Amino acid sequence: MFLVAVILILQEILEAALLLSVLLAVNQQMGPHLAGTRKLTLHWYAAAIVTGIFGAALFAWAMPTVSEWFDYVGQEVINALMHLVVIGGLYTHCLLLQTNARQTPGPHIGAGVALIVVITLSITREGAEIFLYINGIIGTPTAVTPALLGAGLAGGIGISAGILLYYSLVGFSRVVTLRIGLVLLALFAGNMAAQTILLLTQADWMPYTPQLWDTTGLLTEYSVTGQLLYALIGYEATPSLAQAVSYVTAMLLLASTPLFRQSWR
Amino acid sequence: MLIATSARAAAPELTLVIRDHLFFPSTLEVPAGQKVRILIDNQDPTPEEFESYPLNREKVIPGNTKTVVFIGPLQPGEYPFFGEFYPKTAQGKVVVK
Repeated sequence: MFLVAVILILQEILEAALLLSVLLAVNQQMGPHLAGTRKLTLHWYAAAIVTGIFGAALFAWAMPTVSEWFDYVGQEVINALMHLVVIGGLYTHCLLLQTNARQTPGPHIGAGVALIVVITLSITREGAEIFLYINGIIGTPTAVTPALLGAGLAGGIGISAGILLYYSLVGFSRVVTLRIGLVLLALFAGNMAAQTILLLTQADWMPYTPQLWDTTGLLTEYSVTGQLLYALIGYEATPSLAQAVSYVTAMLLLASTPLFRQSWR
Repeated sequence: MLIATSARAAAPELTLVIRDHLFFPSTLEVPAGQKVRILIDNQDPTPEEFESYPLNREKVIPGNTKTVVFIGPLQPGEYPFFGEFYPKTAQGKVVVK
């Protein structure tokens, strides 16, 4: 039970922790030295984490009802919708981190709200599974202690991975950090888009498209590296054509922001 | 949407029951090259997560709840799946013929 809890919860926490680190590292590069940009205060990030945890609890509570929507595929539809809003939020965040500051100094509301939307929904999606799992475990008294210990360890590893990624990123020069950070955000948006396609296919709301390749022999999705890459950039051993197309499209959307282009100038 | 609706009507349905953290049946036989609708009926009071790497499927099923997962069309072969919340016992496979 202990190990199951560690793996399960780590998988859920990792994606949000890594995303948060990259967003923080990018934000750290904003400021007077980069034309038209301004840093967001850490309050925004803290608020986003809190709303995310509430969102996760709410989504877990609503899950039995949501699951039955649309002829039992409500979960896929709502999750797909959240993924799309996250992509839109990431785009808006990258756009407004910069353009907001071109105007006279004032509260950085646009970029901050987009950040809250992105982080809240990321934690809501993944965190709901943790709430459901823990809630299920509570019914089995002997399993509670190992599961909670596992959850604690997973939380520790996930947060450490996030901190490690953050400090690795900000260790580079400003321009390199910004470039890597923004590329990672673009890959993350691609990941969200590919997962949207997968969810809609699973729900039969989208037609099946052929599998493009199979790299299971090179790197399985359930290996540690595979899981890390899945969380960070959405590694998939057997992607479909529609997944690949949507991945590239969302990446290009993020790459079209002035901030992204400016970082490569 | 029209395509999806007409395809849904044509997809054969199979039922997979979860009881005492086990899948019944643990082997699902599925025709090759066809989309299949799997109705998963979780009869346990605890939630479970249906997961399969080769099928690219992942879905939480709250306790005492039913849900649906579409799979395929698939090539002949074996596609293992498991319950991520209770993987020691909840194991099964889809056999495509």
